[in-house]
Amino acid sequence: MKRIYQIKTLLLVMMVAVLATACKTEKVLPQKEALKDITGSWQVIKATRNGTDLTAIIDFSGFKINFTSTGYALVNKMPFLVEQDGTFALDDPEYPYKITFTAAGKTPVATAFTYPIVNGKRQLSLTFSPGCANNSYVYVLQKTN
Amino acid sequence: MRQYLHIKGKNLWRMCACLIIGIALACCGEEIAGIDQPSTAKAGDILPVTVHVNIPTAGNGGPDYLVLGILVPKGWKIAQNTTITYTSPQGDGTMSLIPDGSLPTKGGGLTWSAYMKRTFGLAGNLIDDMEWVVFQTDKPYAHEGGHTITGDLHIKMKVGADGNNTLVKIGYAITDTGNGLTSDQFGTYYSQKSTDCFEVTGGTGDLIDFCNPQLTVLDPPKSLDNDIVTLTFDGAVVNTPVSAEPEVYLCATAYTSDGKTIVVCEQTAKTLMKQTTATSKRYQITFWPKAFFNTTDAQTIIKMEYHITNKAGTSRVGYGNTDAPFVYTFKCG
Repeated sequence: MKRIYQIKTLLLVMMVAVLATACKTEKVLPQKEALKDITGSWQVIKATRNGTDLTAIIDFSGFKINFTSTGYALVNKMPFLVEQDGTFALDDPEYPYKITFTAAGKTPVATAFTYPIVNGKRQLSLTFSPGCANNSYVYVLQKTN
Repeated sequence: MRQYLHIKGKNLWRMCACLIIGIALACCGEEIAGIDQPSTAKAGDILPVTVHVNIPTAGNGGPDYLVLGILVPKGWKIAQNTTITYTSPQGDGTMSLIPDGSLPTKGGGLTWSAYMKRTFGLAGNLIDDMEWVVFQTDKPYAHEGGHTITGDLHIKMKVGADGNNTLVKIGYAITDTGNGLTSDQFGTYYSQKSTDCFEVTGGTGDLIDFCNPQLTVLDPPKSLDNDIVTLTFDGAVVNTPVSAEPEVYLCATAYTSDGKTIVVCEQTAKTLMKQTTATSKRYQITFWPKAFFNTTDAQTIIKMEYHITNKAGTSRVGYGNTDAPFVYTFKCG
């Protein structure tokens, strides 16, 4: 009888041991998403107003947005989210989907943006309404070389 | 053998007859039989409109809800300012706005409003600042019984809520939720009619004429000085003092919030209006008013008066082909 108990205990211990080691936790290597760095000088390569392409009918070539580590500066201004230079912030440096511009002395203005790679180059696509709220503009920006 | 052929022929005739009668019965879906609408109203008035509809119910189907779309200037905001009731032998009821989230089954993912705009466009109007506002009945009806339901839709909508005097062809379209804006071998399940030019008077804003070709058009129709605007001069509408000119220029005066006037009336690359195609006689200039008039950050442009001139600046055309300037007010409403 005692022997049977011993066998049962042994079985129990073995079962616990087997169960405990059955599932091995895989160590997942943390895939660190690169921080999105938008510093640099950006220019408009495509612009639309309510879906109408404006790129060929108004000159955007002089307009640039210079992002630095401390803020942004507008060169040869065009209608934009903000009218003055100031600071900016991304909501998440790894997966940003919102950018907030804060012109000096003004309230922050945020807009959704996309950051795709097209033909090997990063693009910034911003949607906003600088005039009437019903008029929607999309600027596609690319870094100048 | 001959007898057999004879019977077959008889059946064929019967089939044909049945088919023709069937088509005649099932043919044609909802139809607008007539529209009773006053030809003029004051800005802010409630406009009473009656749309008479015929709904053949021969092709079995449904039950579906009757859908009514109304095409009006966006500034009227009729979605918030309209009540619709209906009367029919099958009962009376009300119609309510179809929310944007409720998509037509055959609209390819578009909203009802966008679906109507894709199908009917601006229904005879010329300025793209209009919207289809779409309503449906509170009760459905079945497409069966082989008879035609006649009914009246009684619309009460506020016109000219934006305070602008307006000339516009108000559009009406009906269909049902099951078939949408489609046609098949039984007919067409929608009907669209526009009224003659309807006039809103007594407003405080500029006259907006959706009906008639304009010498100049500004796009977007509603904009501020911080928008990018495209001014188009259509030299094909009528002979003007600049008709024979190879190049035309914009000569404009801005009126600012601080009481200043800024004149830009030079004949240079800055004001040159480019012809859209070699022979279109349509000339365009796209500009950012703030930069065009070089205003300070504190200044806002309230309105702009302008003429179209020749290269020498000696001939010019203004509003209604007169010497009076065209006027554009910068506002969103």
